[in-house]
Amino acid sequence: MRKQRRLSDRILQTVTIMSTFISIIGLGLIFYFVFSNGMKLMSFDLFTSDYYAKSYIAQLVPYEETEFNMPDFSDDEDVYVIPRFGLAIRQGVDLAGNGIVEVHYVHPDSVFNTMISDEVGIDTVDMDANNIIERISYVNHPTSLSRRGAELFAQELNDPEREVFQVFFSDLGGGIRGSFITTLWLIALTLLMALPMGVLTAVYFNEFAPVNVLTKTMRTFIETLTGVPSIIYGLLGISVFVPLTVALTPAVNTNLIAGSMTLAVIILPIIIRTTEESLKVVPADHRAASLALGANKTQTTFKVVLPQATQGILTSTFLAIGRIIGESAALIFVLGAIVRDRVSVFEQSTSLAVHIWSMMTDEPANIALSSTIALLILAVVLFLNVSIKLSVFLLERRGK
Amino acid sequence: MEKVISVEHCDLFYGDFQALKDVSLPIYRHKVTALIGPSGCGKSTFIRVLNRMNDLIPSCKVTGSIQFNHEETYGSGYDVIELRKKVGMVFQKPNPFPMSIFDNIAFGPRQQGIKDKVKLQAIVERSLKQAALWEEVNDRLNQSALSLSGGQQQRLCIARAIAMEPEVILMDEPTSALDPIATQKIENLIEELKKDYTIVIVTHSMQQAARISDYTAFFYMGELLEFDVTKTLFVSPKLKQTEDYVTGRFG
Repeated sequence: MRKQRRLSDRILQTVTIMSTFISIIGLGLIFYFVFSNGMKLMSFDLFTSDYYAKSYIAQLVPYEETEFNMPDFSDDEDVYVIPRFGLAIRQGVDLAGNGIVEVHYVHPDSVFNTMISDEVGIDTVDMDANNIIERISYVNHPTSLSRRGAELFAQELNDPEREVFQVFFSDLGGGIRGSFITTLWLIALTLLMALPMGVLTAVYFNEFAPVNVLTKTMRTFIETLTGVPSIIYGLLGISVFVPLTVALTPAVNTNLIAGSMTLAVIILPIIIRTTEESLKVVPADHRAASLALGANKTQTTFKVVLPQATQGILTSTFLAIGRIIGESAALIFVLGAIVRDRVSVFEQSTSLAVHIWSMMTDEPANIALSSTIALLILAVVLFLNVSIKLSVFLLERRGK
Repeated sequence: MEKVISVEHCDLFYGDFQALKDVSLPIYRHKVTALIGPSGCGKSTFIRVLNRMNDLIPSCKVTGSIQFNHEETYGSGYDVIELRKKVGMVFQKPNPFPMSIFDNIAFGPRQQGIKDKVKLQAIVERSLKQAALWEEVNDRLNQSALSLSGGQQQRLCIARAIAMEPEVILMDEPTSALDPIATQKIENLIEELKKDYTIVIVTHSMQQAARISDYTAFFYMGELLEFDVTKTLFVSPKLKQTEDYVTGRFG
């Protein structure tokens, strides 16, 4: 009997430990995957550059043959210097695995810094580090092609015999500026709509609403809404908010405003519930004290009770921001899945999460950049959670 | 002697439960009236009739005549806000708002529309001085009221009630959450305050009632059994039950 008992205890303990272990591994793997794939593309440029690569065709201004003093790149593998033009290039690989030639360094006095554009309407273009050189054509010589490798490219460009005719190059592209801005817009517009509405609803339910079947039903209804899959909100958005915004604004299609409206509906239950929870813990004594001082119900609610719910409202705001950043399914319907570099609230664009979806449905799927965005989203969510804890801590300390 | 509040034949029901049975009691101006009795006897319920705080309980029904300055407070059209401005209240547990000391005291006047900074400062200073708290806090009026000790918090609550310049201050066991020294300070304060205000105090402590009150009302099971000058009630009570209670034989 005792032996059996001990055995079953052991088994139960092992199972609990194993479960914890597996859960931690599962969560750890997500971080590992996102970090290992996403970290190499993480840079500040990512936030400032466009998603779509822009190509340039340009000619050099007439130049004299010189020899530039180049910085020492001998430590970097795959970097080839071209002293003749003050350039350094390196061998790179694009997202599809093809070899490309990337600009590593441009000397400030290099002729590549001010080239004459062949495009209509643009006068000069400049080459920057991280641009991609596609090809360079010469007068009376065969063109240098990037797919033959950076080493040969550098040799040919360094050859004083060859007179450069045209330079074909492009931006790196793959930036997330547009999606980043869209996400910021979404957060701002959504909170603007949902926060006051949610807080006031919570105030009504907790302070003013009579306790009866109707209000109880409404509460249950709101609680249920938190569990509804977001794609259903997407349906609501596309059938109500998109037509509404098309009718009332310059929008002609799915758009950012309709997206924020849909998100507002999604986060309303979160804000209502969190705020109500924090209103519930305001001591009844404080309400009584305020009323006993001759303040009326409204004054008591907004001057005494609501300020004490600040912490809850802040928490709900952070939770809501997390939800907005992480939302994708509903937004694909209501906001669109086309990555934009120029964001307008009346047009389609993608949030960061939808950006991932959009890239992973591309052919070939861009796992590296997706992971980078995922890493960014994880970082923001982590930051929000820490902020919640920090704000609770700070508000509590201030109260003492 | 002038009555500030006069209660005649007051019955109070919570739903079907009768919490007060035919209570008639005068409250005299500039006197301290103590309400004593065992737990659940209705004394706290009664004190809440006086400023209509029972209104907050939906199932609560009050009948009878309750007059404040000869006006029926439960009459139709009577302004409950005006009543509460004139009949202030201090609760069992110190309950300052989580604001600065200044804002706590200025809260009541501010809700009445007083915005003038100088005026508010004068009110705060006067109230804190009357509540014997000014010396202790005048250098930190902007600090949170929650940083004060329990006894200081309770005096702050008294100051907050005084700021409204009430005629009557109701105190519902104001010292039950405090230590003896803080209690002593509050009792001394009540002694001072009765020069300007009428005080009704609910207390569990017979000694406290004997020390500070001029009149004492003994409640039992929702009924007012005996009401008299404190000394008389403690020394030669008319009823056996009162005698048993004040001598500590039950309760």
